[in-house]
Amino acid sequence: MSRFLTPAKIGLLALIELYTEEAVPNDSIVPVIKFIISHLLGRDLVSTSVSAPADPWGKADSTIRLVVSIQDFEHVLGPLAAADHLPGRRLWDMFLEKLWAIDSLHALRVFFDRLPRLSAKTRDELRRMAELGEHPPSGLLLSRRSPFGRFVRKSHSEFPLLKFGPAAELWKGFVKYRHPTAGYWNRRNPHHGRLSFDSVLMTGEHGWGPGADALAVVAYGDMLRLDGQDDTLSVSTDDIESLLEFQIELIQKYGNRAPPDIRDRLLRLLKDCHLIPSLSHYLNFSDAWRSGEYPTSLDHLHRYFDYTMQGRKRLFYQYALMNVAIVQTDFGCHKEAVTAMLETVSIARENRDMTCLNFALNWFFHFGRAHPDLVRDLENSTMLGSGKETLAFLRVMAKETGMWILWGSALLNEAKLGLSGGESVSVALEYMVRSSHMVVRRNMKTMMGAQLSMAIALWDRLGLSYLSGLTCEVFMRCHANRSVFDDELRVTCRLAGLLAGRGKYEEAFEKLEAVNSNSLRAVESNQHWHLYRGILKLSRDLHRNNIEAADCLLSQLLQMRTDDIEADIVFVIDLLHVESLTRRGDYEPAFVKTDRLIAEMRHDKRDISLRIRLLLTKAHLFDRTGRPERGFTIAMRAASLAWHARLVALLWQAMGAIANVLNALSEFATAAELLVIVLPRCLETDMAYMTGTLYSLLADARMGQAGEKATAEGMSRGGRAAGAPMKATASASAAPAAAQKKPSEFLAKAHEALDLAFGYFSLVEDVEMQCQVLAKNATLMRSMGDHGLSEEYAAKYVALKRKADARNG
Amino acid sequence: MGLSAKDALHLKEALQIAAVKCSERCLYQSAKWAAELLDALPDVPAAELGQVASSMPGSQVHPAFAPNADPLEAALEAKELNKYLLAKTFFDCKEFDRCAAVFLPESLLAGLLSAKANDTTSPRGKGKATAAPSAEQSLPAISQKSLFLALYAKVISGEKRKDEDSEMIMGPQDLGSVVNKQLLVVTRFLERWLAERKAEDCELSASQGFLEYLYGMVLVKEKNDSVALDYLMQSVHLFPWNWGCWLEIANLIARVEHLNKIAPHLPQNIMSFIFHANTAVNLYQQGQDLAASLNDLLGIFPTSSFLLTCKALLNYHMKDLLAAEQDFSNLLALHPHRLDSLDHYSNILYVLNLRPKLAFLAHLCSSIDKFRPESCVVIGNYYSLLSLHENAVQYFRRALTLDRSCLSAWTLMGHEYVELKNTHAAIESYRRAVDVNRRDYRAWYGLGQTYEVLEMHAYALWYYKKAAGLRPWDGKMWQAVGSCLQKMGRDRDGIKALKRALLADSYYDSTSSSFGSAGAVDRMAQMDPEVLLQIAIMYDRLDEEDEAKAYMELCVAQEDGGLGDSVAIHRDSSGVASDGEAEATERGGGGEGTGVTVATSKARMWLAKNAMRTEDYVTANRLATELCQDGVEVEEAKALIREARSRMELANMVDR
Repeated sequence: MSRFLTPAKIGLLALIELYTEEAVPNDSIVPVIKFIISHLLGRDLVSTSVSAPADPWGKADSTIRLVVSIQDFEHVLGPLAAADHLPGRRLWDMFLEKLWAIDSLHALRVFFDRLPRLSAKTRDELRRMAELGEHPPSGLLLSRRSPFGRFVRKSHSEFPLLKFGPAAELWKGFVKYRHPTAGYWNRRNPHHGRLSFDSVLMTGEHGWGPGADALAVVAYGDMLRLDGQDDTLSVSTDDIESLLEFQIELIQKYGNRAPPDIRDRLLRLLKDCHLIPSLSHYLNFSDAWRSGEYPTSLDHLHRYFDYTMQGRKRLFYQYALMNVAIVQTDFGCHKEAVTAMLETVSIARENRDMTCLNFALNWFFHFGRAHPDLVRDLENSTMLGSGKETLAFLRVMAKETGMWILWGSALLNEAKLGLSGGESVSVALEYMVRSSHMVVRRNMKTMMGAQLSMAIALWDRLGLSYLSGLTCEVFMRCHANRSVFDDELRVTCRLAGLLAGRGKYEEAFEKLEAVNSNSLRAVESNQHWHLYRGILKLSRDLHRNNIEAADCLLSQLLQMRTDDIEADIVFVIDLLHVESLTRRGDYEPAFVKTDRLIAEMRHDKRDISLRIRLLLTKAHLFDRTGRPERGFTIAMRAASLAWHARLVALLWQAMGAIANVLNALSEFATAAELLVIVLPRCLETDMAYMTGTLYSLLADARMGQAGEKATAEGMSRGGRAAGAPMKATASASAAPAAAQKKPSEFLAKAHEALDLAFGYFSLVEDVEMQCQVLAKNATLMRSMGDHGLSEEYAAKYVALKRKADARNG
Repeated sequence: MGLSAKDALHLKEALQIAAVKCSERCLYQSAKWAAELLDALPDVPAAELGQVASSMPGSQVHPAFAPNADPLEAALEAKELNKYLLAKTFFDCKEFDRCAAVFLPESLLAGLLSAKANDTTSPRGKGKATAAPSAEQSLPAISQKSLFLALYAKVISGEKRKDEDSEMIMGPQDLGSVVNKQLLVVTRFLERWLAERKAEDCELSASQGFLEYLYGMVLVKEKNDSVALDYLMQSVHLFPWNWGCWLEIANLIARVEHLNKIAPHLPQNIMSFIFHANTAVNLYQQGQDLAASLNDLLGIFPTSSFLLTCKALLNYHMKDLLAAEQDFSNLLALHPHRLDSLDHYSNILYVLNLRPKLAFLAHLCSSIDKFRPESCVVIGNYYSLLSLHENAVQYFRRALTLDRSCLSAWTLMGHEYVELKNTHAAIESYRRAVDVNRRDYRAWYGLGQTYEVLEMHAYALWYYKKAAGLRPWDGKMWQAVGSCLQKMGRDRDGIKALKRALLADSYYDSTSSSFGSAGAVDRMAQMDPEVLLQIAIMYDRLDEEDEAKAYMELCVAQEDGGLGDSVAIHRDSSGVASDGEAEATERGGGGEGTGVTVATSKARMWLAKNAMRTEDYVTANRLATELCQDGVEVEEAKALIREARSRMELANMVDR
């Protein structure tokens, strides 16, 4: 196997020669040059528009195709006419003529020796030629620094470097590469004989007779006999390396694994090259890593390091360790990962490798966020300090060493930390703006994912789900092609989550299904995708009151709850578990679990929103067990926390909880007032279930108010009850307008609220709440005296129940 | 020359026995040679076979596998069959020391050596060898076959170690001074063994000839040539089918005279015939007789690659390159996997400048075996033809690493070093080539050339003379001698040498044309104008103007070739005009003349000036005008014309 030259490259050279001989007619120049350039530069000249190439693997595919067979040339050159405009003569014929003119090993050498003719002469050469009295060459000449010129010069200088054996191999490979065209060439060229692939054999055939065949077999081996059946392909190290680099780049950049067919073809190429570049081990490692084979990936990683020990790469020991640590984390071996990373830090410190140190520190920060228990001892015993200090330090270091990506991500992390700690939103925004500035200024396209993810999270927290959805769309449309697949997946999940929150389950699932299946071959993405789909399904099933299916899903999801999935998702699953328990009426375990989770949260410094959600769950549990008053302090605390952290969506939920408590305490007017203020803001969040709940609470409050009014009226009519006036005055003072209203007005308002609540609940297909609302409605109607409507609601209730049961099987 | 069926059968049997015996003793090359020859022998027609077969009992074991005819030896061989098989397999696995130790453990050898040192005349009895190093120790009683194998393994292991100790080709250790340390032991041992045989031949079984061969080989390595030749001849008499032995003899013969001298002492059989032909070819002999005898042999072995190679080499040495190329080409088609002597073929292709074919040959060789010295030489030649001398040197070095005695590689490497202007290395390479084989005229010639480049003419002359001695009929050698002498100022000798060069060219012409393979050679062909010019210049320096002028005219006459006859009177020879070309294909050949060359122009200029001196202005004017027409040294010629004209005008004026 040669280093650079392959039969396919000889073909390209021949084509370039044709081009310089002006044998390519004007209208065919563009496709020919495009073809050559796409193989020389590995880039498509025409489609360099803003959007990234549709098929990122196309390049690898075309490279492999060109190396393997001459057909690519035929596809391009076949339809083009030759410049001499003889009827029926195509460029392909001229190209073949060139190829078949190379009719012996020596002719191949002559072909390469002739190459400098194609390129323009340097000034020295011109002067020398002038001294010798030669005329400077004329015609189409390749500039020495043009892609063509460089390719030609490189090929020219590479050939003499080949030893005889490889040169002969190249020649054999070329004969084989050219062989498929023999039939065609034979038809066009009557002189063409069986042995004309080698002129020496051809001329010797007269003298040698049958001996010529024997000689041909000896010289060319089995190649002739098998007629292309054998599978050795001539490929150069150069090609292989560029292919490998390309794949690794794709894996690192997009987190994609190669599609199976391309992978197979590459493996075939690799099989034929005796000199396997060490990069291929790295590729194998990446592939195994992505596909989740822990032993294989570590094995390949070590093999790669073994093969790269020589040379300057020995200095990269710390990077090797860092890789090991990252792999260990991905496979859930956190303890080993920590030791490896600590080793990395010490080695990097020894080698004064600031870049590596910064990376390690960054990693530690993230790791610490994900697994606080493992890092805790470390933090106490070392100078690493708390998260915030680390980040500030990192930011400064990154700025000093010019690691822009690290700088950007440090800023984002700081913003994130601030948000999750419930600190000032504006400070977080400032960090985000700074990071955004960095991203734009340094054109860090890969950072776009992190940047926009942060923005999405921020809008979510602020309850501006419309903006968050918009940002998602922006990312998907403009940046998804250039960023890591992981980001794309997360944003897709987020979009699906938003849709599901609005009750558009089908659309949400569609979004998830539309994810590129090849990209999902990476095990981590695949897992995430499955988990998220599971969670969506689970929440839908819970809404539909499909407890059996939910249990089934839950048991699976709970099993996944090992160390290797993210804490956030674990939390979501836990919450869903609690909800499922609640819905089934197993309040005791639900309560225990919630308490445990709250205790854990307090222990670790986790995101404040999670804590608020837990508090709200607890308050909800109190409500379900019929003692909503006990949840008052909890709800108040949740509300105040949410207010401080500007977690708007949660704030409204907390308000709902408070209103519920107020209802329970018969402070209906206050509750109603609170809810009326909260509801419009809540509508902004697009959370249908929460809106429905709030409306249903509002209806309760209105009913309470109506009841109060009725009692008050009844009392004013038939003697006042003892405690009533005081309450009435209280409510009157709180809502002077309400005091003037009649009970029927309140009832109508309650009905209205119930209808709205029913609408929102049916959006998310929540059977239980729908039934509850219908029951309330029926009661309301009866109390308003409309028995017909009441019956209707009751019938609806029964139908709904039956339908749900039928659906749940 | 056909053989009768019976003879053919006998020959076949003899060759079969030879192949088996040689391979029993691990003489691989000899066995291969015999087997190849056997294969080239055409099958005897069945009818005749039947006749002969009836005379022999059919059920008999084939003689090649029959037990030794000597009962004593047969008994020994039968007894030690196990050990022999062990030793043979060791040898086949290239574990030479281990092979030797099976029959001759080190302790035994040490004892023998010390015994030898102490007292050689002490009576020796037969008996089991004991490990005790006593003065009374006797030779071990083992069969000759086993003994040969053991000692041969010793020699080979010594050779191997020698090669290893020499390290890199032309490196600091590789001075040819490393010796085979096992030779001493083997010599001592064989000396005693042979002495015993001589003293008490009645008691011991007769020698089979192989041990004599081994002793001869060892003696050759110790440069004890004449004794070695004796033993080798003894061996050949005892067992004529060992080709290796014949080759050793051939290597000892440096001159044809020597060959002719020893010829009567050789056994008279087909092997000696083959030997004679082969040696003659290697001694650059040529002539009808040799060709005829080769053809006779080819009649017996029509497809023998060995004989075909000899024939091709004969053509090559006779400078009939096209025929040689044809021969080799046919040989290639006949035996496509055979690499032997393809290096010669590549030399021929090199000289013929058949680049594609040479490239193909190189490709073929490297496909068969990249690590054979022949392949490397072929590839090196190809690179040399492409003027990639560095690469060529690399491949020649590789060839030498594979086989230090690869003669052509040494010589060719010398050529490459000359091209690379590395005279020091060139001289060393040539010297090594000469050390390997003193008959390689190209190496001698190369040495001379190198010294000539270094302007050390005395050395150069010495080496040129050596080369000329090896190829007295090659004009090029004499020309080199002549020009060297000229540079040293020994004009008389130089003229002699150069005249000999002219003569030599004509000599080989006559032989080659009578051989008839190259077609009729044009007798009206010309002499080399260079040589003629040189002779003329030397005469000029000796102030023998007439001679000088004659040669100058002869030189100029070569331009149109045909005139050669008219001026040939001046030559010492019988007046046969000859082909002046050193290489038949280098130029067009035939009688068209050389056209204007530098040499003829110089001669013409000299003649013109001479004419001026002798006041023959018309001639001077004519010659100068011709010079102008040819476009050589126009300025000077014009000046001459002007002067000649003015003189003529002056003369006219004076006349008037």
